[in-house]
Amino acid sequence: MLTAAALFIALPLATEHAMPKLLEQHHYLNLDVGIAIAIAAVSLNLLLGYAGQISLGHAALLAAGAFASGIVTSRWHGSMVLGLLFAVVTTAALSLIVGLPALRLRGLYLAIVTLEFGLVMQYSVLRSTVFSGGSAGIALPRRVWGNRFFTDNAVYLVISLLLLLVVWFLDVNVVRTRIGRAFRTIRENESVAQAFGIPVTRYKLLAFVLSGAMAGLAGAMYGHAIGFVNNESPFNFNQSLQLIIIVVVAGLGHRLAAILAGLVYWVFPSFISGLHQWAYIIGALALMDVVSRHPEGLAGVWERRRRPKPADDDDDDGELPALPQLPAPVRAVQAESLPPGSPLLEVDGVSVRFGGLQAVDGVQLTVPTGTIVGLIGPNGAGKSTLFNAISGLVRTESGRIRFRGREIQGLRCDQRARLGIARSFQQVGLAKDLSIRDNFLLAQHQLAGYSDGEALLMLPRASRDEETFRTRADKAIAALGFDELANMPVRNLSGGQQRIVEIACLLVTAPDLVMLDEPSAGMAPAAAENLAARLRDLRDVLGRTVLLIEHNVPLVLDTCDYVYVLDAGRLIAEGEPHEIASNPQVIDAYFGAAVPA
Amino acid sequence: MQPIVLGVIAGSIYALIALGITLVYKASRVLNFAQAEVGTLTLYATWWVTQRQHQSWWVGAIASIAAAIAIGLVFERLVIRRMLTAPRVTVAVATIGLFSLMIAVELALFAGTIYILPPPISHGGVSIAGVYVNANQWLALGVVAVVAAALAAFLRYTDFGLAVLASADDPVAAQLMGAPRGRISAFTWATAGALSAIAVLLIEPTVGVLAPGAFNGLFLGGLTAALVGGLSSLPGAFVGGLVVGIAEAEVKAHLVIQSIPSFQVTAMLIIVLLVLLLRPQGLLGSRS
Repeated sequence: MLTAAALFIALPLATEHAMPKLLEQHHYLNLDVGIAIAIAAVSLNLLLGYAGQISLGHAALLAAGAFASGIVTSRWHGSMVLGLLFAVVTTAALSLIVGLPALRLRGLYLAIVTLEFGLVMQYSVLRSTVFSGGSAGIALPRRVWGNRFFTDNAVYLVISLLLLLVVWFLDVNVVRTRIGRAFRTIRENESVAQAFGIPVTRYKLLAFVLSGAMAGLAGAMYGHAIGFVNNESPFNFNQSLQLIIIVVVAGLGHRLAAILAGLVYWVFPSFISGLHQWAYIIGALALMDVVSRHPEGLAGVWERRRRPKPADDDDDDGELPALPQLPAPVRAVQAESLPPGSPLLEVDGVSVRFGGLQAVDGVQLTVPTGTIVGLIGPNGAGKSTLFNAISGLVRTESGRIRFRGREIQGLRCDQRARLGIARSFQQVGLAKDLSIRDNFLLAQHQLAGYSDGEALLMLPRASRDEETFRTRADKAIAALGFDELANMPVRNLSGGQQRIVEIACLLVTAPDLVMLDEPSAGMAPAAAENLAARLRDLRDVLGRTVLLIEHNVPLVLDTCDYVYVLDAGRLIAEGEPHEIASNPQVIDAYFGAAVPA
Repeated sequence: MQPIVLGVIAGSIYALIALGITLVYKASRVLNFAQAEVGTLTLYATWWVTQRQHQSWWVGAIASIAAAIAIGLVFERLVIRRMLTAPRVTVAVATIGLFSLMIAVELALFAGTIYILPPPISHGGVSIAGVYVNANQWLALGVVAVVAAALAAFLRYTDFGLAVLASADDPVAAQLMGAPRGRISAFTWATAGALSAIAVLLIEPTVGVLAPGAFNGLFLGGLTAALVGGLSSLPGAFVGGLVVGIAEAEVKAHLVIQSIPSFQVTAMLIIVLLVLLLRPQGLLGSRS
């Protein structure tokens, strides 16, 4: 950060004082526009690189910013500062309106909506004389105040670099706080994000609004660099595509690479004219090559060359580190703990239907505080679907779910997570591209006492909380004995290691109920054996209540206080482990017909 | 009456694009942003065959369709097949790359000159409900009906077609049952290419000129139609095409706002936003 700041301050000073003879005004102009394009690239990188959402209409946001600032500075005679602010507010608001219908849903709807929004701006709004002033366009004077203007492109370059620094600072704060962790988890797996208590729609919208605000700033800076915009300004679909090419080829998620690529893309062909046409063909080919063969982009390839990956040693010795007793953090709403044995979770006649398939059919179960309750059944019995219904990932058709006596079936998954329901996933519910440390930070999302605005500016509360999170994460990692692996992406760990990190992450928030979906899946047999002791620790040492899905029946009989058996969506048996083991109906469900004695 | 008849004609061509988008989306959960642009580039093959080699329009049409199928197959083999496990966002970006490549090649080779293609049938036409429908428009309606029926019959009544549908519903199960995943993927992208070329060939007489990006409206209509249909329903794509075509024609005929040019583009955005807000699963799609 400091080096970046030094660089950005040194560079304009150097250009100001050392090189005034070297660069002509039009070269400064090229750099000014190049920096605007670089900020646009940062803005798209935030949306596409961090949050994994595509905008095919970024040029339209640039246009909106440019015209907004033009209206303030030339029609209302406001200063450029006001123009830039108005541009940012306008495009943020536009992004909110355009993004809301699309981002409520999963999938690539934002791409469709932004594509159409971009074409509307290109064909209807910009060609309408009402908004854009037609071919006469609208001027963007660099008004300081009143009738004072500055015209020197070199001075404007200094201002541009300072604005780039501001954007850099905001982007860094996004990455290093809960905002960036939420974005990257959403990109990877929305269900996992929700299970960690992240309101997914809100954060996707935040990503698009932040990106839109930065794009508005970039557009306004572009306009003030050129001096005017009109209906011929290149705010078209092709510009949106070029921005995507810049960001993806440079390397998604790499801020500096995006900035350099934006600068190079604009400044380089302007110095060597005539290259543009072919550059576009090369860019398109590079885009396809990068996404299919090097999804990490040029920056990623370069990074890998510099830092050779440590050799994978695949020695999963099955020795699981003990689940650590984590320092219980203070939850936002401190719920008094229930007396042992009183019902923590009550599932009352819950049904789930997928089209014609009745996946869960009127299930009734209770999980008393301070116990381990098992849920077993053959494949396709509806166990995981029931888990999804309890944690809020699928909607129930009927029935009630009570947690600490409160009905929760109407709440979203992330709201239930914040009430104290933590869950694991069969395929390991972590952000696997993030490091172990980042996953521990991610797990503390709901504990953050700072708002997203405080995070963006890194105000004291945000940096204090982040400090606490890091300490807590380091303690947990040390307790697991994973210090040396702390910065390794979770993807590179063994199955058993991933699972233990997942469970430890769930515990960071001290949830009342821990729901584990086949924790032994993907573990070496020796590790699975060790798991029984760790599960009992959860109850006896850490004082948690556990609801457990397992295929490993001996493990269930060994650890659980009470067991429910599910088959074809219905409960077919329940009881203490020894009763279940001898229940003929259960044997029948598992092995077909019961073997007559 | 006129807007409805014209809307049905344009809408049925949109339906071809929507069918291509939907087929690819069902098979690989990817939005193909190049669905209309592949056919736009290969239309220059038709121009070359008819104007430079002096062959008939029909020979030129076959050249365009063959070229589009080839582009689909090459793209599938070199890009899509490498990305079986990649996040779908990344694959969508790859199709944006294909789109960009088509546009870039058009700009590099054909920008600056006006290319004009004579229509397949130069005269003749029959009025329907008091609206004059020319021969080329009849041809478009007929071709769309035949292509859609042939595609539906192929998917419904041949073993390979059923394998394509099964694979779209559950790729893993279908593969376990012996559905050839590679050939199915190749088939969907080849078909998408052919549908793209046919749609552009049919809409070209109403646009009248070849130019880079001249058929953006076709893609916009087709994409909106696919979304209206629910993105994963082939009959839905067809109905969506008609709905969008008629809506657009009505807007063009009755809602001309002097200060806002190309208001029909805005109408498409409004349709998309309404569908997303009120019925995100589309007209014929099912909520998953």
